[in-house]
Amino acid sequence: MTVSTESNAPADAGASDDTTPAGHRRFGAVWLAAVLVFGLLVGLAIGLLGPRLTTPGDDSVEAGFLRDMSTHHAQAVEMSMIAHANSADPAVVTLSADIAMTQHGQIGYMQAWLRDWKLSPTSSAPPMSWMKDSAGSVQNGLMPGMATPAQLADLRKATGTALDVQFLTLMRQHHLGGIHMAQEILDESDNTDVTWLAESQVRGQQGEINLIDSMLKKLQAT
Amino acid sequence: MSTPGPDRVPSTVKVDKTSGQGKPPAAKSTGAKSAGAKSGTRPGARPQGKGGKGRKPTAPVTVKGSRNWGPIAVAGVVVLIAVGIIGYGVFASMKGTQSWEDRAAGIEGVVNYRAQNNPAINAQDHKDGPLTYVTNPPVGGAHNAAWQNCMGDVYAEPIANEHAVHSLEHGAVWVTYKQGLPADQVTKLQEKVQGRDYMFMSPIANLDKNISVQAWGYQLKVDNADDKRIDEFVKALRLNATLEPNAACSSGKTTTGPIQAAAPPAGN
Repeated sequence: MTVSTESNAPADAGASDDTTPAGHRRFGAVWLAAVLVFGLLVGLAIGLLGPRLTTPGDDSVEAGFLRDMSTHHAQAVEMSMIAHANSADPAVVTLSADIAMTQHGQIGYMQAWLRDWKLSPTSSAPPMSWMKDSAGSVQNGLMPGMATPAQLADLRKATGTALDVQFLTLMRQHHLGGIHMAQEILDESDNTDVTWLAESQVRGQQGEINLIDSMLKKLQAT
Repeated sequence: MSTPGPDRVPSTVKVDKTSGQGKPPAAKSTGAKSAGAKSGTRPGARPQGKGGKGRKPTAPVTVKGSRNWGPIAVAGVVVLIAVGIIGYGVFASMKGTQSWEDRAAGIEGVVNYRAQNNPAINAQDHKDGPLTYVTNPPVGGAHNAAWQNCMGDVYAEPIANEHAVHSLEHGAVWVTYKQGLPADQVTKLQEKVQGRDYMFMSPIANLDKNISVQAWGYQLKVDNADDKRIDEFVKALRLNATLEPNAACSSGKTTTGPIQAAAPPAGN
């Protein structure tokens, strides 16, 4: 019953003698300090955890896409550099330079995001494992659309029109595989950086497929 | 208000002790409060808590103490648990983002040649012609201007160290094995390499263990392709060990065999 006495005391603290309010004030200070310390700890935790919780994690679809697309892009760069060095057709030389520089630049974006997110640039997970229903799409470690070592060896040896046709055919296939992967990440991710890049890949590579088709038609007509 | 001043202390105590006797508790407490507030006399101020002078005030003091410490203890425990959970979350999160250097150092048997500061291994100059290296397989040092293609290439024959070291500089992991290693072991290694850029593989002469994997400045030698440390090494060092971020693995040499002597007009 003295409860009421105690809880009423602070209300008329100014009027009553100072011993009772002093006790409450001391008590309030302890609470204030505790709440401040707790708040600091929570703030520190949020500061440390926040970037991890708001950026994609090590096994996220985004990280899987960026790693696999880096590898996928690297092969497009490889094929383009072969064609750029060996082709005699100015249209093929120009297209291969465009593809090589664009995709090598995009690898830089993708690797930089992984680094920003404090994630490993590579994973020991099998290729395409971030994608749903990807079982069977990887052959001998190659993602959809990727050229085999034998096809690359042939491309290195080819010259003249044979080189141009082989390059354009392999790159058409490569773009189709890349677009498939980019569309999948657009379905599954709402990370604005990643979807921004994936959208540009779908758009750009679809446009290049149209160009490749017209170039192939011209080459095969001759 | 109406309680007589001199009577106040004894009467409250009596009420306290005989609270079952029908006096309304409210009357008691208001009486006590107003008395204490009005009089201002130290001995009479019940909530004072010191209890030094008046023998009676002791009882209310203990009541006050026990009433407050219960919730405090509960709150304290809750806060401790919350801090523990948050702390563990931060710890677990930080542990998952160990640096690649720490992960490499945690692999048993890895040799960190970067830590040795050996000028012959740290050198990054481009030099023509055959070069000698202080380790076999080499893990760093001067190298040829052309790098070995490291787009998951699997070379069936030995390749030139001078090109391979340049690939290490670009961030590739080079898997080497003793010539004559059983085919099933070679196949297992091949599965780790093909289709992965910044990886390449070849047999090598005079290897003192069955398998050796290397990145720039790091090496791990093992006896069996099933050894899990190979995968750990690749995960920790592939691309991370680069000295030239975003340098390519394509446009490199795809030929095998020893380095070709520099063409005479090129000098040297």
